[in-house]
Amino acid sequence: MAALASADIVVIGAGIVGALVARRLAQQGASVLILEAGPRLDRGRIVAAFRHSPFKGNWMAPYPPSPWAPHPIYVPRDNGYLKQAGPYPYPAEYIRAVGGTTWHWAAQAWRLVPNDMRIKSLYGVGVDWPLSYEELDPWYQEAEEILGVAGADNTGSPRQKPFPMKPVAEPWAMHRVRERLAGVYPVVANTVARNSRGYDGRPACVGNNSCQPICPINAQYLGINAVEAAEAAGAKVIPNAVVYRIEHDVQGRIAAVHYYAPDKSEHRVTGKTFILAANGIESPKLLLLSASSKYPNGLANRSGAVGRHLMDHPSTSLTFYADEEIWLGRGPQSPSSINTLRDGAFRSQHAPYRLDFTNISQVLNVTNDLIKEGVYGAAFAKQLRWRAARQINVKNVLEVLPNPDNRITLSSEKDAMGIPKPEAHYAIDAYTRRGAEVSKADFARIAELMGGTGLRYSAEGSFANNQHITGTLSMGNDPATSVVDAFGRSHDHENLFVCGTGVMPTAATMNSTLTAVALALRTAEHILPAKQAVVANAAGDREAGLA
Amino acid sequence: MAIQEARTETALDDPADPSRRRLLAGLLTAYTASLIPWALAQPAPQADRGAFAALSAILVGRPSLDAAQATRTYDALVTDDAHFPTDVQALLTLINQRHIDPLQLQATLDSEHSPLASLPRRIMSAWVLGVVGSSEGARCVAYESALNAVIVADVLKPPTYAYGSYGSWTAKPV
Repeated sequence: MAALASADIVVIGAGIVGALVARRLAQQGASVLILEAGPRLDRGRIVAAFRHSPFKGNWMAPYPPSPWAPHPIYVPRDNGYLKQAGPYPYPAEYIRAVGGTTWHWAAQAWRLVPNDMRIKSLYGVGVDWPLSYEELDPWYQEAEEILGVAGADNTGSPRQKPFPMKPVAEPWAMHRVRERLAGVYPVVANTVARNSRGYDGRPACVGNNSCQPICPINAQYLGINAVEAAEAAGAKVIPNAVVYRIEHDVQGRIAAVHYYAPDKSEHRVTGKTFILAANGIESPKLLLLSASSKYPNGLANRSGAVGRHLMDHPSTSLTFYADEEIWLGRGPQSPSSINTLRDGAFRSQHAPYRLDFTNISQVLNVTNDLIKEGVYGAAFAKQLRWRAARQINVKNVLEVLPNPDNRITLSSEKDAMGIPKPEAHYAIDAYTRRGAEVSKADFARIAELMGGTGLRYSAEGSFANNQHITGTLSMGNDPATSVVDAFGRSHDHENLFVCGTGVMPTAATMNSTLTAVALALRTAEHILPAKQAVVANAAGDREAGLA
Repeated sequence: MAIQEARTETALDDPADPSRRRLLAGLLTAYTASLIPWALAQPAPQADRGAFAALSAILVGRPSLDAAQATRTYDALVTDDAHFPTDVQALLTLINQRHIDPLQLQATLDSEHSPLASLPRRIMSAWVLGVVGSSEGARCVAYESALNAVIVADVLKPPTYAYGSYGSWTAKPV
């Protein structure tokens, strides 16, 4: 056993959530240690890896997994890390590295709408959250100010204070879509952690159009920014530390975590408070791996809910040619969407959705299509330009309801370190499928308004996944049905907290990162209140005493 | 080096040079020469590379191709398939003899179950995507200079390259 390390706070996972919790706690004076299974990455090397990749359409290509901390890879073929138990495939993608999966996100930093958190009460489906939108609002604001979020006020998500930045400048293509859909569908700027001006030492966007897989210039906030901020606040990061067991004491408090270094040497880290922030697949995996004689079903799992209620955002889509040249690919990748279908009485019947327009350059897809069709000679260039100028794609982002049968379990297969691989059990239910069916009328209407031709709907019954891994560690007030309380504290272990998208009890229709960060900041405050809050409370106490 | 000279103005503008005309002429007929008139101007000390240049030009429909990229691309394709030079000659001969329109080429090869049917896509992929090979054997031989980037270069930058200063994308593209 290597030298023992210890800290007030031990965080497992150096993604955007783990790092921002670490940062906040380190700022309060706690000693903080972050253990990250994967290696440190370098932005320049990622950019180079993308440019040299033969698989430009595969955003995981610049992020090859390390042997000791594998993550799922599907191109050119499935590396078999995330086992699929079916019945529907759940090919989740994520990055195990310092900085985590937001290395290649689209920086969509959405709030929920208030009713998302009360769908059981309002619509009789899913579950209610153990906290309200109003309680979350200040934490959303803090998250938005850290990340540097640019957004518009007309997206359906109320706020008490203004966005840190005005919306990112609208690409011409989205300008035309907005104008042509006006009066039928309001097309609004997406809420993004992308700079519309210099912010916090990072530059404004210059339209590299590679937000996924990598922003070359640091104009969108990434997990690595959070990690660097945590380190600046005094947190220490240990990369390549593959945690494989969480250890509890006789009282059920967490005493230590154990990790392997790449050479499989074993290390033990002790602490006072432990925060599990390893994502919606790796976090439940670790809790299940940590089963003991006292907790035979895994830690934090009195309810049996660990790993259950797996959710994401499936999408179907329509691709077509507009009757004018709009040229997707100028500016950032994901600028605009339609938000009016995120909520309504219909939620008792079918999934709500956001409609999202891509601004990803269509050149690669069109090139592949033309090669497939055998378009050679002078017609190739002519067709490439015609199609790349006119091709549009709109997709829905559908809500999936929490279902205990959709879950992450431990596979009987093990990875190179001898750690069981995660296994996904997943299905897309009738509620979500009905939402997809309803949205086809919107797709058709949008195409009609754009003078669309060559309409290509995604294959019937086929859903693309959006990598918004949600719900496997759901929060709730009832320890019999949920894993953590409204502050992310395990119902079963007083000094174990869980942060990340996994704690969200429902998935709603919006990319989940900002909500996970907001909840995590609230968790951090619960663990160790910010000094100004302490001062304010102390002042309050004194006044109370005087009265 | 034959193909390198394709980039020079002289080579492109002087198709009548008889000393050059002789060298590649054996590879082409009036039909294929009409598709790529510049090719007649090129000396072809290596017939295999000359044939590749000619077939490439027919498939991608471009008047000129970058010589260094042609060398890299050809070498990569030959590495994958030792029969590649022979197949290129055979396909070029087929196009010469039967005056096959590039737009009809794939359908023709497919309908005849030609053993050459996979060749055009391999060459197209190499030039327009910059990708040679497939699956685990795939590798990138060009990105910024892949023809799909070159063809739209007046409007778009290849992803990861800055489009322009903040907000420059709000203007009408063309």
